[in-house]
Amino acid sequence: MKNNNIPSYILAIILSIIFIYPLYILILIAFEPISLTFDRLYPYQLPFDFTLANFESSIKDLSLITPVLRSIVVAFIVSILAIVLSTSAGYGLNKLSSRFSNKIIVLMFFANMLPAIVIAIPISVYFIKLGLYDNVLGIALAQELVVLPISAFIMLGGFRSLPRDLENQANIDGAGMISTFRYVIMPLIKVPLTITFLLAWMTSWDEFTYAIIISPLAPTFPVSLYDYVSRGEPFISASFALIVTIPVILIVVFLQKYLKGEYLTGGMKA
Amino acid sequence: MTYKMELINLKKSYNNVKVLKNLNLTVNDGEFLVILGPSGEGKSTLLRTIVGIESLDGGKVTVGGKDVTNKPPNKRNIAMVFQNYALYPNMTVYENIAFPLKMERIGKDKIKAKVNEVTKLLKIEDILNKNVTKLSGGQKQRVAIARALVRDPALFLLDEPLSNLDARVRYTSRQELKRLQKELNYTFIYVTHDQLEASNLADRVAVLHNGVIEQIGKYNELYEKPATKWIGDFIGTYPMNFIDGGILDYAGKTIGFRPPWTKNGNDIKAEVNLIENSEGNYYVHGNVNGNSIVIRTTEKYSIGDEISFNLTKFNIYNNGILEDVKLTEYYKNENL
Repeated sequence: MKNNNIPSYILAIILSIIFIYPLYILILIAFEPISLTFDRLYPYQLPFDFTLANFESSIKDLSLITPVLRSIVVAFIVSILAIVLSTSAGYGLNKLSSRFSNKIIVLMFFANMLPAIVIAIPISVYFIKLGLYDNVLGIALAQELVVLPISAFIMLGGFRSLPRDLENQANIDGAGMISTFRYVIMPLIKVPLTITFLLAWMTSWDEFTYAIIISPLAPTFPVSLYDYVSRGEPFISASFALIVTIPVILIVVFLQKYLKGEYLTGGMKA
Repeated sequence: MTYKMELINLKKSYNNVKVLKNLNLTVNDGEFLVILGPSGEGKSTLLRTIVGIESLDGGKVTVGGKDVTNKPPNKRNIAMVFQNYALYPNMTVYENIAFPLKMERIGKDKIKAKVNEVTKLLKIEDILNKNVTKLSGGQKQRVAIARALVRDPALFLLDEPLSNLDARVRYTSRQELKRLQKELNYTFIYVTHDQLEASNLADRVAVLHNGVIEQIGKYNELYEKPATKWIGDFIGTYPMNFIDGGILDYAGKTIGFRPPWTKNGNDIKAEVNLIENSEGNYYVHGNVNGNSIVIRTTEKYSIGDEISFNLTKFNIYNNGILEDVKLTEYYKNENL
């Protein structure tokens, strides 16, 4: 480590503390007796006691398991759909001149400029007719609205960063469109693909507005968590939230190895 | 198998700028043809239309007598090496070279045999399992050529394949390319702006200018008898000198001569304004009636001296087009 790197390290540590602090509070609430957290006007910032009582009562209360499973299903539908749609959108947009494709991307973001509630209510009216109300697929389709523009944007960026001659070369080497895509392009867009997947998955995982309006009776996890908090049981939901954070962390850790971008143009430089 | 290629009346424009204007070119089978031209003349565009990744506005491309104008690139059986090699970064050297064969759905054993044969030819057997991103420039170039060779293409297109290499590697690669082409007897079309490459490699050189092939022939022919003033200016380490024809009784026309085509004498006079020393000769820059010229001499001059000389031979240009080639009375003496 060089000396001139020390300020960067200090900054990185400060940043991490800021980002980790909420998680720390969550852990504190989950493992401390209520007497030290919610019952105090100024809760302690350091752990003085340890209890598993909150965990016991949250695990006993199995009514949260179904919403969690539902949320997982919805998140996977949203993210897989996002990958399929945004890959084709990005690939197609990349063939247009950038003046056109930039405008189309801006148009796609238009739905996100309105408050979600403005769109969710009319959608729910149609979804009742279509049988998508109170339905996993219904939530997923509505959440896709939030996820798709940014996904398409990321994928377009990914395709733009590919050297164009690579596709030409594959063509010349005898590959048709499908083979080119499968053997040459797909392996090179793993990074944006992973980012798209992660972003879509996590956005769906804690999306609230569409979920509560489209599917109030078959709620996703954030919606039922909210129910618990409003019923006055925040410590149970805190410990449960901690449990269900674990799969999210696992997914991020597992996909992290794809999140590096330096090899993309390697073969093209002399 | 080698094939002859014909380009007939190729037309191509970008945003109303005509890049190719009724371009015609015939490449014989087994020939090493170099397309030479300065940057921005559409050399790469020409190759791209031949291989099919760029569409044509008009004209016809035939390979081995068959019209391939409307075929997609993967059905043309033309191989191309890009300037940046366009190796697939996600594959190893072996996978890169095997890729065209894999696309032809050839059996694994056969692919292996063919790849081995080609890699032996290019002396890259020992890097087969390396990732292509870890190779040196020269190695990348060999891999790109191996990938083009492996599929037995009807035609070989190379887009400035040596321009990304450093001088020493470029020299050896050049020799090797030439040897490969002659050994395997493939038809090569090679694009470059480098005259040295053109003169070393080419059986024939085609000069691309203003969207047409302005002249085609052996490099020496282009040097001695440039068909236009523009080519005379473009070909050669020093451009051809052009002076007013009136000086030698060709009023209204232009006289063109190369720096070595001179001899001591009194026909033409010039004032020296720059001297360059190059491998035992002096290249003396001067001015004749407002036209700057360069002549080669073994005598030493200094700036401000008056130099006078005769021509041993010269070309006559009328409106920029070659009209006649003259040998003067001093020419014989020169050769003694």
